Amino acid sequence: MSKIPKEPEKVLKKRKRYRSDEIFAYRSVIISAILGGIFYIISLFFNLGIITIFLNQSVLWTIFDVLIKVIVILLFFLFMITSLANYKELIGKPLDWKELFLLIGFSIGQTILNPWVFIFTLFGLAIILIYLYIVQEL
Amino acid sequence: MKKIILRGIIFIIIINISIISLLFISNSYGATEEIDSQFGEAPVIDGYIDISSQEWNKATKVQIDLGGSPPEGLPINLWVMQDNSNLYISVQIDLEHEYHNTTEFVGIMISNSSSENKEDFIDAKIVQFSNISENQFNYLDYYINNSIFLNDSDYDGDGAAKLEDSSSIYEFSIPITSINGNEEDVLLDYGNGYAFNVTYGKTPFYPSGIIKSTIILINIKSFPTTEQPLWNLVILILSIIIFSILGILYGFYIYKIFKLKEKIERIKR
Repeated sequence: MSKIPKEPEKVLKKRKRYRSDEIFAYRSVIISAILGGIFYIISLFFNLGIITIFLNQSVLWTIFDVLIKVIVILLFFLFMITSLANYKELIGKPLDWKELFLLIGFSIGQTILNPWVFIFTLFGLAIILIYLYIVQEL
Repeated sequence: MKKIILRGIIFIIIINISIISLLFISNSYGATEEIDSQFGEAPVIDGYIDISSQEWNKATKVQIDLGGSPPEGLPINLWVMQDNSNLYISVQIDLEHEYHNTTEFVGIMISNSSSENKEDFIDAKIVQFSNISENQFNYLDYYINNSIFLNDSDYDGDGAAKLEDSSSIYEFSIPITSINGNEEDVLLDYGNGYAFNVTYGKTPFYPSGIIKSTIILINIKSFPTTEQPLWNLVILILSIIIFSILGILYGFYIYKIFKLKEKIERIKR
């Protein structure tokens, strides 16, 4: 008979579940970071003016152009904050204000070439933050 | 005695002022309108305004009266526009068909500055109908010397006219800073204002055929600079810096994620 006492099944199950949560969190970190990276590259092309396919065609195309730029930045923010929060959780620390503000700052920083993109991104970020705050509180 | 001398001097001064004022009146006109020209796409000078292609849509549009207020004056629509090489003027006259004369004309006399003195108007561009019912016209370019209209050796600019229903439409294109310009033409330059005498007549004699005219002042806009403002450049550089820092931080974050994976695997073992 082994001298080391066997772990109770309940503890083993708990550890297994924890590990599966860990794997899930890590996968979420990776996938969210990759998606964030993809939207960062798209944002780089559109917001830095490397791609200007909708330039001065009509008001409708200008609105479409602004919309694409705003959505890309908001998706970048959303995926990066998901990835970062899960990463922090994996290392056992909470996401602090410093990192949150840094991410908001970099998201806003991408918009400085277009005032319309800036306004709508600011508005979108505010909505996302309010949403995340409410979800956390509930 | 002194009083008589003083009165005499005052009398002479008043007479002098009166005579000088009379001279000013006879040698100058009064500008009724000041127009700021706007940049727009060059219209086709054919006497027809193509609304479907938004021709003249950027022009400054004013309504003025030639030769005073109605009933003496003739109300016209005046459109002024410019591009990088020409100034465009359109004159539209709405009259009942029978009031349009077979040989009516519209002329644009150009001053060499914003001065409205008669002798400063040295250039004339005229669109003269030879038969208005068949829309036959001639574009004429004259050099004015002491009120005598002399044919230019080289015609500068372009002009056309068309009668449609009750409206006769005249279109002019006048070069700005023309390299072909000579002393027979006024050299219009960007950023300057020039006096233009818009004239109307019924018989092809100049200037005796002119029956209505009004002076307008047209300010030609400065040539748009292609230079990027410094502020735009600063913002662009700032944007590049932000994207670069974000790229570096993203790379560092991916590195940290892989490090974390190694750590997790080590703990698992």
